[in-house]
Amino acid sequence: MSAVLEVTDLVKTYPAARKSPAVEAVRGISFRVEAGELFGLLGPNGAGKSTTLGCITTLIRPTSGRIVVDGVDMARDPVAGKHRIAVVPQVRNLDRDLTVREVLTYHGRYFGLPAAERESRAGRLLEQMQLADRAQAKPLELSGGLQQRLLIARALMHDPKVLLLDEPTIGLDPQARRLLWETLLELHRQGLTQILTTHYMEEADRLCDRVAIIDHGRILTVDTPDALKASLPGGHLLDLDARSPSPLGPVLEGIAGVARVETAPDGNGDGYVRLRLFVEPGDGLLDRVLHAVRDARGDLRHISLQPPSLEDVYVHLTGKELRE
Amino acid sequence: MTAFLALLRRDLLVASRNAFPLLMATLTQPILVVLVFGNILPRLGLVADEFRTVMVPGLMSITMLMAGVQGVLMPLVTDLSGSREVDERLLAPLSVMAVAAEKIVAGAIHAALAGLIALPAMMLLMHQVAGVAVHPNWLALGPLVLLCGLLSAAFGMTLGARVQPRFSGLLFAVILGPMMLFGCAYYPYQALSVLGLFQYVFLLNPLVFMSEAMRVAVTPNVPHMSMALLLFGLVGCVLGFGWIGARTFERRTIL
Ligand SMILES: Nc1ncnc2c1ncn2[C@@H]1O[C@H](COP(=O)(O)OP(=O)(O)OP(=O)(O)O)[C@@H](O)[C@H]1O
Ligand SMILES: [Mg+2]
Repeated sequence: MSAVLEVTDLVKTYPAARKSPAVEAVRGISFRVEAGELFGLLGPNGAGKSTTLGCITTLIRPTSGRIVVDGVDMARDPVAGKHRIAVVPQVRNLDRDLTVREVLTYHGRYFGLPAAERESRAGRLLEQMQLADRAQAKPLELSGGLQQRLLIARALMHDPKVLLLDEPTIGLDPQARRLLWETLLELHRQGLTQILTTHYMEEADRLCDRVAIIDHGRILTVDTPDALKASLPGGHLLDLDARSPSPLGPVLEGIAGVARVETAPDGNGDGYVRLRLFVEPGDGLLDRVLHAVRDARGDLRHISLQPPSLEDVYVHLTGKELRE
Repeated sequence: MTAFLALLRRDLLVASRNAFPLLMATLTQPILVVLVFGNILPRLGLVADEFRTVMVPGLMSITMLMAGVQGVLMPLVTDLSGSREVDERLLAPLSVMAVAAEKIVAGAIHAALAGLIALPAMMLLMHQVAGVAVHPNWLALGPLVLLCGLLSAAFGMTLGARVQPRFSGLLFAVILGPMMLFGCAYYPYQALSVLGLFQYVFLLNPLVFMSEAMRVAVTPNVPHMSMALLLFGLVGCVLGFGWIGARTFERRTIL
């Protein structure tokens, strides 16, 4: 496999402004995206996702590091590089003075497509994105979901090697979000390389071949969603709400099949605390846990066993819930 | 080059769709001034024909300045302050400097057209137009109007990229207003020799060169500054403001 995108030791420090100090938004990020991959950058607000994408697309000047798209060094030959990438930005930037169809045909003009190709491609993309009946509307008259699809159609006009999407489903209702997911998966099946940032766990889980979890400008880990989940000790999660005279953590940690116990900092004032057990489900495990609680003269209010989600991986790695 | 021309084409298309409001925005000022100083006051016998002759090229240059500044500065300020439509252009396959240059050329075309339309509009509104010594030198008019258009657009780019969006309202009061009053629009540069050395301070104002250029083009009989100084000033301002404007544009758009 060949890498379509290679980011090496990317650093971006926004210089200090009059009243604000310098911000180290990206502190040494490296990753490779293979041809045809749908790659996710997952992280909370301010993690540095948009900054990373901005550096890849030349809209942000990296402080240091190297970005190569399809063999082109973006810093050395930005014009050749821009032919190879397309962007669906976090802030929708549709040309409000053109019609929906013109948004596409003019984008084609910017990239030097001949007239016939421009028109046929615009027509096809309008169909594909279910925008054909709104072709003469102005972009701002479209709903958020349709605007988002128009942005994708525009990005596809010049047949990019890599499509970069910055939080593409933010602000969409569940139905529009699902439709957009379908669109991205369809493009994935057609072999388009895509990089997507998101802070929705479910989105990263469902769509991405591989996910990089990013926080404070660093990549914490990169892998397939399944491998990330499997990387949790034990592989499953057992959550308890329990109360007892003495701390339950050390007791539970000794049970066969329990790989690790995390105790939430505080209960909710009524004496109960939340315990998260990383467990390998097996014969008698639940029994052993219940016994241990009873032996410690504890009381169990709630118990649930679940396969881990990406969110659990995230919380485990960063020690905090996603700041949404 | 393809991308440059495509962007220019887009800007001209959008401008032609908004032709009426754009013209209103730039022509209102000269038309109102001509109504008062070219029509009403002469009827009252309060304004001499000489002043009206001097005023015509001056108002053309003011019109062009306003058109250039409005055509470049306004979209730039909104772009930089949030809508980021400019990003699509920055992602088109051309250099950032070329994107800036395209904005200047589009603004220049807008300004040049506004100046050319202002001339007949003003002559139509003048009272007893026979007394006004306007004799356009058609050969000089074309290139000079283009240079003036480029100057206004480049100046608009410099302002638009430099000024913080929240201060853009102040621009007219603090920068453009004084520029117009001290821009030799209502008096010829040569006549300022009565001020002694102080005359040269006026050369800091780019509008002076535009007003004098229009004087050369439409009222060649009125004394004007030497062609050498005029061309030096025009070309120098176009290059200077163009460069500063484009560099500032690059700094503001590429973080
Ligand atoms: N132009 C800028 N100047 C200074 N600091 C900035 C600038 N843009 C972003 N930052 C800071 O850099 C950090 C990373 O921001 P970035 O926009 O890359 O995060 P993000 O992961 O995209 O978050 P979000 O989910 O909110 O979009 C944040 O702390 C942010 O405040
Ligand atoms: Mg972001």
